[in-house]
Amino acid sequence: MNAIIALSLSGIASLFLGFSTNRKNLLITTLLFVLVALGLNLADWNHEYFWFNNMLKTDNLSINFSSVILLSTALVVAISRSFGDDEEHTHPAEYYAIMLFAAAGALMMVTYENMIMLFVGLEILSVSMYILTGSDKRNLRSNEAALKYFLMGAFATGILLFGVALVYGATGSFNIHGIGEVVSRTKKGMELFEGGVILYAGIILIFIGLLFKVSAAPFHFWTPDVYEGAPTIFTTFMSTVVKTAGVAAMYRLLSISFPAVYGLWGNPLVWITCLTLIVGNITAVYQQSFKRMLAYSSISHAGYLLITILAKTPNTNGSILFYSLAYSIATISAFAVLMIVSENKPKDGKPDESFEALNGLSVNNPFLAFVLTVSMLSLAGIPLTAGFFGKFFIFTDAFSNVSPLFKNILVVAILMSAVGVYYYFKPIIAVYMKKGEIAEIQLPLIYKITLIITTALTIILGIAPDLVKNMF
Amino acid sequence: MQQLPDVIRQIPLNNYVWFSAALFCIGIIGVLTRRNAIIIFMSIELMLNAVNLLLAAFSSYKADPAGQVFVFFIMAVAAAEVAVGLAIIVMIYRNIQSIDVGILNKLKW
Amino acid sequence: MNFWYFLTALTLLSALMVVFAKNPIHSVLYLVFTFFCISGHYVLLNAQFLMAVNIIVYAGAIMVLFLFVIMMLDLRKNVPESKSNLTKLAGAVLGGTLLVVFIAATRHMNLGNGSGAIGAQTGMVESLGMILYKDYLLPFELVSVLFFVAMVGAVMLGKREAGERNF
Repeated sequence: MNAIIALSLSGIASLFLGFSTNRKNLLITTLLFVLVALGLNLADWNHEYFWFNNMLKTDNLSINFSSVILLSTALVVAISRSFGDDEEHTHPAEYYAIMLFAAAGALMMVTYENMIMLFVGLEILSVSMYILTGSDKRNLRSNEAALKYFLMGAFATGILLFGVALVYGATGSFNIHGIGEVVSRTKKGMELFEGGVILYAGIILIFIGLLFKVSAAPFHFWTPDVYEGAPTIFTTFMSTVVKTAGVAAMYRLLSISFPAVYGLWGNPLVWITCLTLIVGNITAVYQQSFKRMLAYSSISHAGYLLITILAKTPNTNGSILFYSLAYSIATISAFAVLMIVSENKPKDGKPDESFEALNGLSVNNPFLAFVLTVSMLSLAGIPLTAGFFGKFFIFTDAFSNVSPLFKNILVVAILMSAVGVYYYFKPIIAVYMKKGEIAEIQLPLIYKITLIITTALTIILGIAPDLVKNMF
Repeated sequence: MQQLPDVIRQIPLNNYVWFSAALFCIGIIGVLTRRNAIIIFMSIELMLNAVNLLLAAFSSYKADPAGQVFVFFIMAVAAAEVAVGLAIIVMIYRNIQSIDVGILNKLKW
Repeated sequence: MNFWYFLTALTLLSALMVVFAKNPIHSVLYLVFTFFCISGHYVLLNAQFLMAVNIIVYAGAIMVLFLFVIMMLDLRKNVPESKSNLTKLAGAVLGGTLLVVFIAATRHMNLGNGSGAIGAQTGMVESLGMILYKDYLLPFELVSVLFFVAMVGAVMLGKREAGERNF
């Protein structure tokens, strides 16, 4: 809660810092603001507390999710390089302020206790992302991505709200624990109370709205376009912070409000999960652009995260957190390498984001090549990286679930991990095997430190996962 | 005006649920069939209004003001969304002199 | 009673016209009319504060913004839309099916009517103000963050940069 207040205030402060002419200072102060928020967030550890008439609830689970979100935000800010030297067309103060506000919205989405807070937090996050997606104003692809994201996002919000209204009509409450009580009473009576139908319709609509936001198939079609069109730094933000917040919000709602009607949302979710895994992984194989491939890979990782939500074991909290942390840091290092390499080698005046841009990276830039390799191995789930244990925990959870449907999911998930290995090796092959000319790229100090942190974290989590897993 | 609130007694709540569902579906049809970005946007506003009406109806029939407070928030958020959405549309029009979603195909749909 | 059905039919009709009107300006005007009809429904529901806010915020502020943008962009001319008839048909069928399924699923439902709520002061400014500033204080304050984001973003996106054309 204090972190939300701190982020809102520091967002305003960083707007005023835009008057100063030194762009470097802006980056450092913004980073400082995020770290202060992270500290305030951790200060609530082990205190379960309801804030402002049951609007928010902080407990250890939500603090963990908030920490993952704030850590990702800090890393994304650190690799932003103050948005280049183009004084005329970039507005770093505004971008940083909007990113801080977006992080505040994401924190609201993981600590909410009332549907109103979910809705307001989701909107703060989404509206910020619409703006940041379109922030490259003269680039037509960025414009188009912003419009597409905006129309799809607003449409999904409408669907979500209709669901909230129907659930309110059936249960008479916006409080997620209050809804949960009514729903579980319904189940015990074994008969539909008056308006049971609208309760179920409402749950399904809320569900569809949230699946839109975490980009699960068949509601994923906007994702690759938006991820490809947005400036890379904001794509990184989208595929880490927005995804973690969306999954956490969905998990919170399903595990607190609707566990009693598991049959209603569980069965469709099984099919949606399988479809997400298949669509995300298979289409990723055919991509020529590295950025678009990462977009499809983010769809497939949403599928893995949905498996844990479905499994409903006591370990779920830990697995879902570990997976989102491993996924976020690996994605950030992948995008960081892509960003600096593609900007170094423009094609037709635009950054070249295809796999060919990476050809021969290892010759003059062994450090970047190593960072990219570790992050790809982690995303593919190869042992000794964090991604391996992320997948391992998720598959163990799924395996301990007795339902026969889970055997199907496991088969699909394991097959699709194998497909994943294929396309995650494409960039590695391009880096080490293919011939190409890339001059040595000068990395700013803070950029280099960030890459060392993400890579080291990925390897440490891959060797000693219990270090973090036991904390959750 | 004396007899107006009698509606609550005479009209079953079901009618309101169906009425807003119909309004909501008209909005969905608009989003799916039109290509003009502004009209798609207006259809989304129509969907939000269906939600508002449904919440207000539930709230009045249950005599619980929380639903109407939620409507108030939806209106506030819709206003913010409109400001950003129209800014995006204006920005696009400036670049390509059109707001037809079909012309925007630099990225695959 | 009859008035309710009349108003409902009017609302749905004008909503359909929003979607199917050829000229965007007609669409906006039908949408304003729809909002007035919905405000009428709020009066019938005894939600007088919402009625006022709906007219002021939606029909007043939001629709003026729409109208302003449409006139600024000069969209009067009826440019034929690029969508094929097949996708249009598919969209309409999908929306219609959704409605039919929903009504079929809820046709035996009986939510009753609000006989207990007669004379309640639910929708009055006083009761809404009490709950808004007591229970819902936090979201009320945080909506201001949203407005701030929207303001910064709209200015940033809408501002003309050096070298950009006016219109």
